Amino acid sequence: MTPAPAPLRVAILSFAHVHAASYVALLRDRPDIELLTADPDAATAPAGELRGAAFAAEHGAAYVDTYAEALAWRPDAVVVCSENSRHRDVVLAAAATGAHVLCEKPLATRVEDAEEMVAACAAAGVRLMTAYPVRFSPEFGTLRGLVASGALGTVLGGTGTNNGKVPAGRAWFTDPELAGGGALADHVVHLADLLDALLGEEPVAVRAVSNRVLYGGDPQVRAETGALVSITYAGGAEVVVDCSWSVPDGAPTWGGLTLQVVGTGGTVEIDPFAAHVGGLVAQGTRQAWLGFGENLDALMLEHFLGCVRTGETPGPDGQVGLRTLRVVAAAQRSAAEGGAVVRLGA
Amino acid sequence: MTAAEPSPALTVGLVGAGGIARAHAPAWRALGADLVVHSTDGAAELAAAHGGRVVAGLDELLDVADVVDVVTPTPTHLEVASAALAAGRHVLCEKPLGRTSRDAVAMLDAARAADRQLYPGHVVRFFPEYALMRQAVRSGEIGVPAVLRFARGGMFPAWSPWFADDAQSGGVVLDLMIHDLDLARWVAGEVTSVHATRRSLEEDGAPHTLAHVVLTHADGAISHVRGLWGAPHTTFRTSFHVAGDAGTLRFDSAEAAGVRSDLPPVPAGGQDRPAPAAGESPYLTEIREVARAFAASPTWLAPDDPHHPRVSAVDGVIAVEIAEAALASVASGESVALDTAARARALADLETTGSRA
Repeated sequence: MTPAPAPLRVAILSFAHVHAASYVALLRDRPDIELLTADPDAATAPAGELRGAAFAAEHGAAYVDTYAEALAWRPDAVVVCSENSRHRDVVLAAAATGAHVLCEKPLATRVEDAEEMVAACAAAGVRLMTAYPVRFSPEFGTLRGLVASGALGTVLGGTGTNNGKVPAGRAWFTDPELAGGGALADHVVHLADLLDALLGEEPVAVRAVSNRVLYGGDPQVRAETGALVSITYAGGAEVVVDCSWSVPDGAPTWGGLTLQVVGTGGTVEIDPFAAHVGGLVAQGTRQAWLGFGENLDALMLEHFLGCVRTGETPGPDGQVGLRTLRVVAAAQRSAAEGGAVVRLGA
Repeated sequence: MTAAEPSPALTVGLVGAGGIARAHAPAWRALGADLVVHSTDGAAELAAAHGGRVVAGLDELLDVADVVDVVTPTPTHLEVASAALAAGRHVLCEKPLGRTSRDAVAMLDAARAADRQLYPGHVVRFFPEYALMRQAVRSGEIGVPAVLRFARGGMFPAWSPWFADDAQSGGVVLDLMIHDLDLARWVAGEVTSVHATRRSLEEDGAPHTLAHVVLTHADGAISHVRGLWGAPHTTFRTSFHVAGDAGTLRFDSAEAAGVRSDLPPVPAGGQDRPAPAAGESPYLTEIREVARAFAASPTWLAPDDPHHPRVSAVDGVIAVEIAEAALASVASGESVALDTAARARALADLETTGSRA
C-alpha cells in the first residue's frame, strides 16, 4: 500500500474578495489540505464588513495576523483574495517563498503590475493561475467542443453578457482605486478569458462606452456601472460585451453570464448559471431561485490543487490573466476617450 | 368617428409583390380596401392570393389608387414614392425609406412639396412586445434607461438576390438592423455617437453577415444592436433587454411563443417571418394606424396631430441616417459622431414649411 500523500499546505491570503468564504468552505474540512488564513488589511475595510480574525473564526479557519507569518508556514500554494490593487504585493511575496499562486481576477489593476507578477512567478518557478471559474463550466466545455470540432464553422463573432447586481458587502469593489475601475474591470475579464480560450486569438482592437446612470446617485459607487465593449479578434471575429451592473437589487439571483457565438454553421448560446428551480415563495411575494449548477469554484480549486500536486501548468494561467487585463485597460482608455478605437498588439 | 376609419371604397395601389407585399396585402384587405397591384414580378400571384387586380404599370396604378403602398426593393423607393406623391397620393413606404439618407430626405421633400402624407414602414414599433416596452419605459417603470440591448436575426435573405448586394440593400445594417436602430432611438432618445462592426463571409456557397452597432444617446444611455443574416437553417429571432436605474425589461421571441412544437424542420429556402407574440398581425396594426391618418386628412398631417401614426417620415429619415453612420463606421473602423436631435429639428422645420405651403 502506498501511503497517503502528505497534505498540501494552502494559505488563503486576505478576505477582501467575497469568494474567500467559498474557498475557505471548500478547503477547510479536507483531509488532504491544511489550511491557514491571513487578512492583515482587515483594518482598512469599512466598519461593519466582517474581516480578519473575526471572519476566520466565523468560518472556522486557522488564522494568523500577517502575510509574513502565513508565508513562514511555507504553504505549497496560496489563494490571493486581496483587493485588486493589492494583488501584486501579495503575489510577489508568495512567489518569493516558492508558493504556487491562484490569484483572484482581475490579475491586477495595472498592466505593468500583472507583467511583473507573471515574470516574478516564472523566475521563482511557481505556477500562477488566474481565478476564472466560468472556464470550468460544463456549458463552456460544450461550446468549446463545438467550436473545436468545426460544428460552428467559421466563427463570425458573438455577444457576451456579464450582468450582476452592484457588488454589495465589500465597499472596495466600487472604489476605482482598489478595484481598478467599476463594471469594466469587474466583468469584462470573464468573457475576455472565455473568448481567449475559445478563439485562441489576440484582440486587435477594443472600443468601449460607459456611463453611470445605474446607481448614479449613490456616493458609494464611484466608478462606471454600465458599459458596452466591442472587441475585434485577429481572425476577424467581432464581439460585443455588456458588462453592466444592471441586475436590480430585487432580482432573485446575483446575475449571470451568457455567451452567444455565431458561426457559419449556426449559433450556440451558453448560460452557465441558468440551472435553477424557480417559482414564488414567502406567501407568493418573492421570486425563488434555487440554483443547482456545478460549483465552479470547486472545479477550479480542484484543478489548481491537482496541478500543484503533479507539477502540471494550471490554466487559465497568468498569461491569460495579463492578456485579459490588457483588454480591460484598452476598454478603459477607449471609454475615457469617448469611444475612440484602441488598437492592440504590434 | 367615421373620418378615422378607412372608407370601404379605399383603393390601395401596391407597388411590389415580394415578401413584405405578402404581409401588407392581407392587412389592407382586412380593413376593407380594394387592392391594385403593379410589380415587375409576382403581381398576378399576389393579386390572386389576396383578391386584388393587376394593373399594367405605375401610371395606371396611380390613376386608380387612392393611396400607394411602396413595397419594392430599397433603391427604387424614391422614384416610386416621388411619383405617387407628385400624383397627389399619400404614401406608405417600406423601410428603409431610401438606400441613402439623400434619397430619404428627397422623399421627405417630395411629400412636403406635394403636401401629402408619407410614413415609413417601421413595423417593429407596432409589435406589441416593443410597443409595451416603450410605453413602460416612457412611464418610468425602469427609471432612467442606462444600457439597452437589441438583437434580431434569421437566415440570410437568399430568396431575392438584391438583399445580398450591399449597393442596393445596404446589407444587414440598413435592411434589418434599421428596425432596432429606430427602436433604440424611440426608447432611449436621440443619438450622439455610432460605432459599428460587420463581418461577412461566404462558406460553401452560403453568405453570412453578423453586425454590431453601439449607440450613445444624448441622455447618457448606451445601446447595443446586433443583426444576423445567418446560416440557412437559422430560426428568425428577436430579443431585447433594457436596463434602467429602477428596473429592467426583457423579451426573447425564442421564449415567448404561445405555441411550442417539436416537428420536423421546414425545408430550407423558404422565407421566414417573425410570428407575433400574441394577437393580431403587427402589419395590420401598422396599416390600420396609417390608414386612419390617410383618412383623417387629404394633406400633410403634423406629427402632433392625434391622427398621426406613431412613426413619422422624419423618424424614417433619421433611421436611415443612423444606419448610414453605422456603415461609415464599418468602413472606417472608427466611431462616427451624429446629432440626431439637431437633424430632427432641422427636418421638422421642413415639415412645418411643408404643411404651410
